[in-house]
Amino acid sequence: MSLELVCPAGTPSALRAAVEAGAHSVYCGFRDETNARNFPGLNFSPDELVDGIRFAHRHGAKVLVAINTFVRAGHPTAWIKALANAEGAGADAVILADIALLDHAKRHHPSLRLHLSVQAAAATPEAIQFYAEAFDVKRVVLPRVLSVEEIAALAKEITVETEAFVFGGLCPMAEGRCSLSSYATGKSPNLTGVCSPPEHVTYTDDAEGTTAKLARFTIERFGAGEPAGYPTLCKGRFIAEGKTGHWFEDPVSLNAAELIRPLAKAGVTALKIEGRQRGKGYVAEVVAAFRAAVDAIAAGRDDPDTAKRLAGLTEGGKQTAGAYKKTWR
Amino acid sequence: MTDHQPKGLPAPLRFLAKPLPLLPVGTILSLAVRRLAARRPGVFDRIGPYRTCRFRIAPVDLDFDFLLVPDGTRARVDTIPRRARVASDVEIGGPLVDLLGLLDGTLDGDALFFTRTITVRGRTDAVVALRNAIEDAELKPADLLGLTGRLGTTADAVILKAIALLRRLATEPSGRESADPPGGSSPSITPFGSRS
Repeated sequence: MSLELVCPAGTPSALRAAVEAGAHSVYCGFRDETNARNFPGLNFSPDELVDGIRFAHRHGAKVLVAINTFVRAGHPTAWIKALANAEGAGADAVILADIALLDHAKRHHPSLRLHLSVQAAAATPEAIQFYAEAFDVKRVVLPRVLSVEEIAALAKEITVETEAFVFGGLCPMAEGRCSLSSYATGKSPNLTGVCSPPEHVTYTDDAEGTTAKLARFTIERFGAGEPAGYPTLCKGRFIAEGKTGHWFEDPVSLNAAELIRPLAKAGVTALKIEGRQRGKGYVAEVVAAFRAAVDAIAAGRDDPDTAKRLAGLTEGGKQTAGAYKKTWR
Repeated sequence: MTDHQPKGLPAPLRFLAKPLPLLPVGTILSLAVRRLAARRPGVFDRIGPYRTCRFRIAPVDLDFDFLLVPDGTRARVDTIPRRARVASDVEIGGPLVDLLGLLDGTLDGDALFFTRTITVRGRTDAVVALRNAIEDAELKPADLLGLTGRLGTTADAVILKAIALLRRLATEPSGRESADPPGGSSPSITPFGSRS
């Protein structure tokens, strides 16, 4: 059976681009703090979601709505409304992380299919089965901290589908790196839905190049022409003990195109492309490349050199198989 | 580190572009953006509170910049000399063909930023909002010109061919003013208007 390709859409035009490029499913969010890509000018109004779902369904694709931030204590209205709007629009599933919201969805929207967001960081059979049994979650989006072998072992012990990231951001999320952005800006990626809020990002030039700052923290200096990355603290370049390096995380993109077959063998149901904040050009190119790869592998052919095709779209011009190949072990 | 310099227009085209600021380019573009806002207000809604920001668009291969205030039906576009000190909230710089590629969705803004083909200064949140609004708008030349029907289709075809030619001239070795960005030429993505 062919793997399901789950693709990002930050805008209605990106949704159409993803569907036309061959996405089996598209994930998107509302234009507020209920989703983890809450950037200016991005995301969908409830009416745009209705139109987007109609378009996707007409082309045989599904739409999964990410309502995957954690509910602000005492102010659940936006999240509750988002669930109702998603169901009303005809969403094929919602992607949730917050236990209270999962509980609410199970009680008040019993026919809505629930997926567990990567934001929940469920990476063990015990954690995943808890969500499956307590809330009837049908699929878990795996944190980007597991090797292919670990996914294979995990898949044997759980009763739900698995979705694995194959391209884009590496954000592990599980181990607290997102707190760096919260500390610097006062806005939380997991609560407010925005990592490195752009109103806190500045670039300044001098004779030696460009300096990127997040709030009051200098996070990177680029020489002229040196490839740049996203202005996040976790991908900053710092000096420690006399050495300069990306001590938290390298500014590279995940590209697991060469691992599609092993991931399928490991029992993965769906492959996820990260990048709701990226443009429709990126979406169309990455989706088309991965759809060709998935189809080729399903037909018993070799991967059509997907990694090379997508090299120009990677962050900092660099790519890695990340935790899928734990080469440091 | 690499010796990256952005691509640029061939010298003859730069020369031909020199007198453009003497023409009422700003007025024409202002009217075009206002017409677009009247027909498609949703494009400007997506820019949200940043629609009154002043965006300086600085093509590195022209002698003048554009100053855009995308305030819907009150939008304004002015041409200003390259080194003129004019207050702006944002400055977006890069080769003209790449900036046009952002406008029409042919090129991915993040990829151009990663390769340092374009530069961004000032309010990053305003840049992000404008870029996302433009991304979603799927603008065609006819949208800006206010043309519809067969006339609009023809205008799109002619202007897009001209832009494609411009892009080729800017990237071919004989017309190149400088080197490709690291990793090759700018990341080209989908053909403009492929869905139309």
